[in-house]
Amino acid sequence: MADHNDPNAVNSIFSDIDVSAADLYDLFGFPSDDSAGREKVLIALTFAAVPEAGVFDTDMLYRIQIAAHPRVEAPSEDERSLETLLRYFDAVKDKYLVELHAAEIRVTFDQDNRARVAFKDFPGGSFQAAADTNETLTIETPDGHSIKAFLGGRDDAFFNDLPGFFRSINYAPQFYNVPHSMMEARELPIPKTLLELEGNHLFNFDPKNPRHGRGVKKNLPPGPWTWKGDRFLKDEHGNFRFVYSGEDAQAGRNVNALIFEIPLSFITESPAEDRIVSTWGESWVLKAAPKVESIPDRLFWLEHPWALLDAIQLDEEMKKYKLVDTDGQPFADAGLSEREDNRQLGANNFWLAPHFIKRLAHLGWGFGPSISALGLHTSFDHDNSPVSVHKTYATPIEAFPRARKTLFQRLNMPDDSWNKNGRDIPLRRPFEIFVPNVCAIDMDTTGTWPFGRRLEDQVATRFLSMFLDMEAELDGQRYHVETLNDQSLWDRAPIVPKTPPNPLKNDKEFLDHFPYLAAPW
Amino acid sequence: MVKGHLHKEGPTDYEIELGRINNDICELQAGALTAPIDVGMATKFAYRLYHRASLTGDLAEFEVVETAIDATMRQVGPWADLCLLKANLDFKLHRLADARRDLEMVPGLANVPQARALRADLDLQEGRYESALEGYENAIQENRTWDNLVRLAYFKARMGDVEGAEHLYIEAEEEITAKEMRSYAWVELQRGVLDLTHGRYECAGTHYERANEAYSGYWLVDEHIGGLLGAQGKYDQAVALYERVVARVPRPDLQQAVGDLYVSAGKPDRARPWHDKALAAYLESARRGDVHYLHHLAAFYADVRRDGAEAVRWAREDLELRQNFSTQAALAWALYRDGRFAEALAAMHQALSSGVRDAKLFCRAAMIHLAAGRTDESARFLREAAEINPHYVDVHYPAP
Repeated sequence: MADHNDPNAVNSIFSDIDVSAADLYDLFGFPSDDSAGREKVLIALTFAAVPEAGVFDTDMLYRIQIAAHPRVEAPSEDERSLETLLRYFDAVKDKYLVELHAAEIRVTFDQDNRARVAFKDFPGGSFQAAADTNETLTIETPDGHSIKAFLGGRDDAFFNDLPGFFRSINYAPQFYNVPHSMMEARELPIPKTLLELEGNHLFNFDPKNPRHGRGVKKNLPPGPWTWKGDRFLKDEHGNFRFVYSGEDAQAGRNVNALIFEIPLSFITESPAEDRIVSTWGESWVLKAAPKVESIPDRLFWLEHPWALLDAIQLDEEMKKYKLVDTDGQPFADAGLSEREDNRQLGANNFWLAPHFIKRLAHLGWGFGPSISALGLHTSFDHDNSPVSVHKTYATPIEAFPRARKTLFQRLNMPDDSWNKNGRDIPLRRPFEIFVPNVCAIDMDTTGTWPFGRRLEDQVATRFLSMFLDMEAELDGQRYHVETLNDQSLWDRAPIVPKTPPNPLKNDKEFLDHFPYLAAPW
Repeated sequence: MVKGHLHKEGPTDYEIELGRINNDICELQAGALTAPIDVGMATKFAYRLYHRASLTGDLAEFEVVETAIDATMRQVGPWADLCLLKANLDFKLHRLADARRDLEMVPGLANVPQARALRADLDLQEGRYESALEGYENAIQENRTWDNLVRLAYFKARMGDVEGAEHLYIEAEEEITAKEMRSYAWVELQRGVLDLTHGRYECAGTHYERANEAYSGYWLVDEHIGGLLGAQGKYDQAVALYERVVARVPRPDLQQAVGDLYVSAGKPDRARPWHDKALAAYLESARRGDVHYLHHLAAFYADVRRDGAEAVRWAREDLELRQNFSTQAALAWALYRDGRFAEALAAMHQALSSGVRDAKLFCRAAMIHLAAGRTDESARFLREAAEINPHYVDVHYPAP
């Protein structure tokens, strides 16, 4: 999934680690389609359905942080230097760490699967409510707003060919039994690629073992796990073999979800100016000591469901918990942070900025030549390499020139429907999207990625579109974030299977009303 | 007041965890070792077996783990996670050289974080204190996990830095989540031991109670409480509790502990069958070539049987495997029992040179110095022992 199976502390790919309720999957955020009454934003945080869909882990605390602000002034078109980029990251850091004081929603659950929902530091103050799970609720705030909430089990709203993504990055634990202690045997040192590499026997599709990597694992053979070839694999008809299948690996799976539809005027006192709602989710697990000490506070919550909370008391509460996972942007973790436990920083991922540049260049050397081989234009400067290359960088200085265009180009949208209010909104650029690691919802748009994230967005494929050259054209139209989702492109391409990388829609229809995510299986 | 524990209705945390592990083992055992081996499943199986052996304290179960590891590696070759498990197993059973070899079986394995921490443990066991300290500090710098923190805490506690140890234990507890309550209970036990060895019995009792609240039904908690009751002179309660523990975990060291408590209670006749049973098991273990109980044999012959020559024999065997303050002190005490005071003094000086500060060690150093005619030094060690733990009293075994 966008953020599945990370960090490694809760990585269920490995045989000795169970699936954990701390494993956040996705954060969706977009202006609500319900136009009745006040302007509202929809935020949905999904995570592993543990102990089961609709039943929550009482040791967990989930936190959704929310900050509304005007659009950030980004560097102009002609300032495409590393210095500019680093200055931008620094400015954003100050903004998030110093200027913006995010409000938050905290959710915990008791033994009866009832929720305590605490709203902290919103303009109307802080308060909390007791809530039933698995049903749509309306929470009336002290300052007269109505917030819709649903806390319960749902169908997993993410639709994605996860094994295809792992095949593209040669991620061994998806395909092989990999010793947990062998950190170097995860992403193997084989070029990342969208097209199978001739002789890449470790990861190429095996018709004799078609489920390899899709539930079937083999024992990791002894190394070296490198690739010595010099070309993409082609079949007898001259077709490349796609690493993706277009299959929905998440079909039929459930999640637990916290879904809120919140009036913008509850989040900010200046809804006309604060058009960006930045949000991110966190999972925290109770520390052992408070579990021993715990004095039942359930009665208090039940008897005072609308009690105003003292902010200090809430902060004391956080001392009892330990941060495990964060989720803001899809693929910020899986694609760019390599799932390291200590990179679970959420919005505060600024120190990863140099790593982000290096990682993007590393991915570019894999995906760029793949795109070129298909006759498409890439934003990544790979010196016309005829095949994907495994290249890592020690410094961002070295990596930046290669990834400059990928970082700075504006990601075209397929049409203007995203800009629902017809405002002068610049197209987003990758460097703005991933640092900080938040879902930045533009309230004047539909909230489709990268202006938020809607349920129906095929974000995995849109992520890949960053490596397309957005100045190039196909059939008279500039490349855009949906180009790789266009079936006709694949029908014409010398490739099998002829499918977009990932499924185009979810396995279950989304609802046209709150809570929007489909009922669980 | 600290008591033994009669558990609440319903299964205890220990029983729940053991049941879960047993279920996993049942599910895995049919396929785990069937050729062609799925090494992921086999690894999980071996780890579950290890968890069960650690939880139950049954040393025989570690042999089952070893068999599973060896059977898997015969088919698939050295597998990093299994080599690491094997190294931990060998370390637990005091086969230190084997543990080091295990870590060398897969290139690069010795440098993974868990292996580096284990290497520091090996350094400590082999008397390389500076290397051990450096290893622990490096491990923490790279990976500030609760288990690394308690490793250093233990080191500091042994070296007399009680405050430093306590801080590290507290920090370790901060890292442990509600999903790891057994680990939390275990750290509470270590904190209790720290208090116990410094004569703070009430504090020790509080930690032990807390361990029990965190993780109910654990025999290890009861064993610690039994030890505390014994230290407090509440022998009847201690014996009753220990006998319940031994009924669950029939290990010879625990059987000896029951005998020792009877001795302390002035009931040597009741002690004898327990001691006999313990000795028989120790000797059987040694006869099989196991080294785990060598230090128990040395202590048993020195104190229970007062057979200095035999004590020296076992102490030397143990010392050949691991040269540390504990094995050196055991040899010194055995030599003392054998009337070889000059040699005892030399061995004790070696133990003391480690820098370890411990009431029992200092008491025995005092006895040996006294026997060697060094009365001033003897008095100094007694004073230092009393400073560390004013309540420390060695078990007074009757002469055989």
